Amino acid sequence: MKNSKLMRVLMIMGVVVLSLVLTGPSVVGAKEPLVIGLQAPITGPWAYEGQMAKQSCEIAAQLINQKGGILGGRMIEVRVVDDEGQPKTGALAATKLVGQKDVVAVVSTYGSSVCEPASNIYEKFKKVNIGYGVTAVRLTQRNMKYFFRTCGRDDSQGEFFAKVAKERFNAKRIAIMHDNTAFGKGLAEDTKRGLKQMIDSGKTQIVYYDAITPGEKDFHVLLTELRESKPDLWYFTGYYAEAALLVNQAREIGIKFPFVGGNAAINDEFVKIAGLSVAKGCFMTNEPLPSDLPSTEAKEFLKAYKDKFGEIPSSPWPVYAADALNVIAHAVNESGSTDADVLSDYLRNKANGVPGVTGPIGFTEQGDREGVPFYLYVVDAQGRIVVSK
Amino acid sequence: MQVIIEQLINGLTIGSFYALIALGYSMVYGVLKLINFAHGDFFTLGSYIGYTILVFGSALVTSHFGLWGGLIAATMVAAISLAIVGILVERSAYRPIYASGRLPAVVSALGASILLQNAIMVIWGPRYQAYPASLIPNIHLHLGGIHITLLQLVILIMSLCLLGILYYVIQKTTFGAAIRATALDRDTAALMGINFNTVILFIFTIGPALGAVTGVMVGSYYRQISFTMGWNYGLKAFTATILGGIGNLPGAMFGGLILGVLEMLGCAYISAAWKDVFVFLILILVLIFRPTGLFGETIAEKV
Repeated sequence: MKNSKLMRVLMIMGVVVLSLVLTGPSVVGAKEPLVIGLQAPITGPWAYEGQMAKQSCEIAAQLINQKGGILGGRMIEVRVVDDEGQPKTGALAATKLVGQKDVVAVVSTYGSSVCEPASNIYEKFKKVNIGYGVTAVRLTQRNMKYFFRTCGRDDSQGEFFAKVAKERFNAKRIAIMHDNTAFGKGLAEDTKRGLKQMIDSGKTQIVYYDAITPGEKDFHVLLTELRESKPDLWYFTGYYAEAALLVNQAREIGIKFPFVGGNAAINDEFVKIAGLSVAKGCFMTNEPLPSDLPSTEAKEFLKAYKDKFGEIPSSPWPVYAADALNVIAHAVNESGSTDADVLSDYLRNKANGVPGVTGPIGFTEQGDREGVPFYLYVVDAQGRIVVSK
Repeated sequence: MQVIIEQLINGLTIGSFYALIALGYSMVYGVLKLINFAHGDFFTLGSYIGYTILVFGSALVTSHFGLWGGLIAATMVAAISLAIVGILVERSAYRPIYASGRLPAVVSALGASILLQNAIMVIWGPRYQAYPASLIPNIHLHLGGIHITLLQLVILIMSLCLLGILYYVIQKTTFGAAIRATALDRDTAALMGINFNTVILFIFTIGPALGAVTGVMVGSYYRQISFTMGWNYGLKAFTATILGGIGNLPGAMFGGLILGVLEMLGCAYISAAWKDVFVFLILILVLIFRPTGLFGETIAEKV
């Protein structure tokens, strides 16, 4: 009796000692990881973009960790929360991340309509959040302290389109179609404003201005109306899922005028769904694609991404996500703090020329990214998206 | 003039999709007084099965029987599979709770819908899939100045034929009378010698099978499918059912066609952005003046 009791006590002690020995070094010696949150549409209509963003953040973290991490050896850990590309799920995702005390800052998100409610929550609970695929101008007009974005804004895109319409296409009759989302409608309005000078001087007119309902599939009726308004040029400011359907159905009913998408309209998924024969020759106003980025950071990032995932990202947003993570890591490292106010102040006032995949990163007083160029892209005969000459 | 005809064809095509799906809702509601929320997912599952057959069976079928053969094979396999799935869902989710009243049935239907939708997402992935353009016949026609594709014409004619056949079966045959009788009063119909189980077998095989055929048609027409598309179409089809008069099968068909044409009118002549507002406004007005729908019968209250 006494013997077995003794044996039991010895066994329990042995287990405790063993577990301390095995886990000891990691508890005592190593530093705890630095957690950066990522809110992205991993499922839902923008799953393709969301998954690329997740992969990009993993690569960005991996590159930083390979160089020794930040704050003297802390490794970066990316914590992903799915917002399904829906505003209400976005709010839930933000709530989840603000509740986790070890999350220092958040990379959030793709889709201005999802970002708006999410960023409200981050602001309320004082968590730095950096948007990577959110270009609606309105987002940085809300006097927020903790919201930034590494991507550009739609007013510069609208101006760029006006320039392209005049110089490249010489368009006299322009059709603008949006999808009533925060981003799509915003870009359409910005484009109208960008075209204002040309309209006032009589050089061009907007012959069609209407919206589709996102999530729908059948656009034959609306496209027939578009065709009858006889434009020279068609600008669609919505997302790629609907863009693919629109272009397909447009060609079916005999629309021949050129299609220009906004910067959410064309990626590899668009080419896949629309089919090569239809996608060929479609244009897009876009920030530089990853394959066109010149910096050494870009080359290093793309090589690491391709080694792990087989091909580089096909749209600019995932690399903006990577840069959001990079700039957060840089801010934490340089300021030595994970406090939201310190980070916010650093990003706004001291971040200048921070090396990023998309170029040097700096923010304006309102939190916008400084200096984002636009190019005109076209889908070539092999289905690749290249800069249009 | 040609534009109006083109728009009418567009409206009728969408309308016939709504009508075919609405039939499934209406049949189940009429007989069981249950709104089968899973019906939209039967439609989606049919579309995905058609996609799988087309893509993986293309080596076998399309190379031997051509593009149309591939589509026909996809449709048939999808229809038969969904007939089986329909019966399975009925046996597992609905039959055990017939006696428990309407609320448990609604909850069970929602549960079946969520299960099917997520099963599709797990099996085929959350991203959009596309019916390959190379496996769909793509012939453009110009009939009297109207732009139309051969596929669109075939789909429209096939939908209208299916609707016509079902109308005939339900209105003019004895079995159709049996279904209508069961919808009217289940117990009395049983007393008249109508086998309830046969009626259930019919509505849970033909309904989902029709949904599957519509799914393959939608898949080949728009070429883009996602696991959530059942929700959108289901909602519109359910609206069509209410518009036509719930429980009334020809009503569901006409409700669907009318809804498609109304959408077309709203989109073409008012504004594409406001078309749904227009459609639902009409629905509200119809229900205010005819609460049982356009073709619904006012049921006399027993005093």
